Amino acid sequence: MALRSINLPGIGTKYELETEKNDIIAVFFLKSGNIQMYTLQHGCQTPSVAELSPPEARRLGSILAGAIMEADQESVEFAFSALSDLRITIHTYIVGKSVAGKSIEELQIRAKTGVTIIAVSRGDKNVVNPPADFIFQDGDTLVAIGESDQLKRFERDIMVT
Amino acid sequence: MQGIVLALFACLLLALITKRFALPTIPFYIIAGLVLGKSGLDLVGGDEISAFLTHLGLLFLLFFMGLEIKPDRIWKSQSAIVTSGLIDLNINVAIGFLAAIALGFHLFEALIVAAAFFISSTAMAVTSLIENRKLLMRESETIVWLMVFEDIVVILILAFISPQMDQPLAILVKTLIMLAILYAIIMFGKDQIIWMLKRDDELPVLLTFSAVLGISALSLSVGIPESFMVIVFGTFLGTIDPVSFEVQSRPFKDVFLVIFFVFFGITVNLFTEGIYLPSLIAISLIAVISKYASGIAIGKLIHKNSHSGIEIWANTIGRGEFSIAIAALYGSAAVSSAIAFMVIITSIIGAFVAKYSGRIGKVLIRQPLTVQGDNPSR
Repeated sequence: MALRSINLPGIGTKYELETEKNDIIAVFFLKSGNIQMYTLQHGCQTPSVAELSPPEARRLGSILAGAIMEADQESVEFAFSALSDLRITIHTYIVGKSVAGKSIEELQIRAKTGVTIIAVSRGDKNVVNPPADFIFQDGDTLVAIGESDQLKRFERDIMVT
Repeated sequence: MQGIVLALFACLLLALITKRFALPTIPFYIIAGLVLGKSGLDLVGGDEISAFLTHLGLLFLLFFMGLEIKPDRIWKSQSAIVTSGLIDLNINVAIGFLAAIALGFHLFEALIVAAAFFISSTAMAVTSLIENRKLLMRESETIVWLMVFEDIVVILILAFISPQMDQPLAILVKTLIMLAILYAIIMFGKDQIIWMLKRDDELPVLLTFSAVLGISALSLSVGIPESFMVIVFGTFLGTIDPVSFEVQSRPFKDVFLVIFFVFFGITVNLFTEGIYLPSLIAISLIAVISKYASGIAIGKLIHKNSHSGIEIWANTIGRGEFSIAIAALYGSAAVSSAIAFMVIITSIIGAFVAKYSGRIGKVLIRQPLTVQGDNPSR
């Protein structure tokens, strides 16, 4: 496995990796901020190329770094295989009429479901670790953390009723 | 003022169209200028305001180029730069010079034409490599280093060809003294500069803008080559925080450079006496062929392969910003028209060739392609 990096004036930084099977992977961090990734199979002439935005590249990076996340649209699951396979899910929900106007304490979220609210996004403002007397408003996005069973209970008992 | 606004909106429209079709924008800005100006409808003419704005465009182009120059890195990659650079220089300057003489230019004019003929557009080469997704090619590094070599040649031209040629030694001494003072100021005030750049108010942008204009004014008042000073100043500042200065100066460069290109087109008159359209077309086509010769020579020498030569050719055909800068600084009316024409034709042909280089290579070169993965040099 040979890795080399070079700075190309006007273009950006290039990292090129040759695998044991002689396939070539090259990543270019362009000045525009985007990333171009080339893969060239051994014996092949034309590489395939993907251009990634920085968030896309980070996402790809965390997948390659050890597949610790299973993500769907609104939730991300982290698995810590070293800690007897501890799995934690972070899920986002949109606050509806049933919850709006009530505080975290009032809803007894932790006691009833085991879920913890770690952040609330309102308009262009975020509240991280909201206090127990935090009152939800219609349209807030909340971020909840817990085991997937706890989150299911939270969704059924608090968000929907 | 109305003229500038008209020119700017024409450019905005053209930029929208050319970006959509992934074409280089520089030739179209010049064409817009030709249509609006003396050679065409004569709707817009140059005045003091436009002259000042185009001057800013040139200054920021040069400053930006200076920021990109990293002397230590260039020093480390000498071997990569020098061989191919010298081939490129010798072939293109020789052909460009002979072509210019054959078309009836005087000695000095022919030298200016040859310089503009030699210098490919760095902006177009870089954009074409990225847009056509050719960065992985072995040739792309060669092309990038070629551009660096050409930039160094531009700096030498700007340093040594100045309007005040009467006291070369005095100018050289003055330039060196000014450079030493500037370097000392920048090194001494490094912490202050970094502190100012980190702020998120108007300070960073004000610093960048006034520094560039300041160096220009200083050079003019002391009587030393302004363009050269601006580039070297950029290189000095690049040692502190190139990214930050790039971010601050980019908007100035982008907008004033468009004005620079369009007003270059406006002031050029293709129909003055002594300019023959066929000879302009001839020199533009020779410019395309000449880069083919140098591209193939470099490809064969560095990559042992003519197909590499095609790629190098394809991405270096387009002449652009630096050719225009040289024309604007030193060119007579006839020289400027020749260079304007050359930039338009080579950059459009270049964009096309770079896009279809694979197919064009197959037609032009019979030698089979070597497979990249089997290359022992990797």
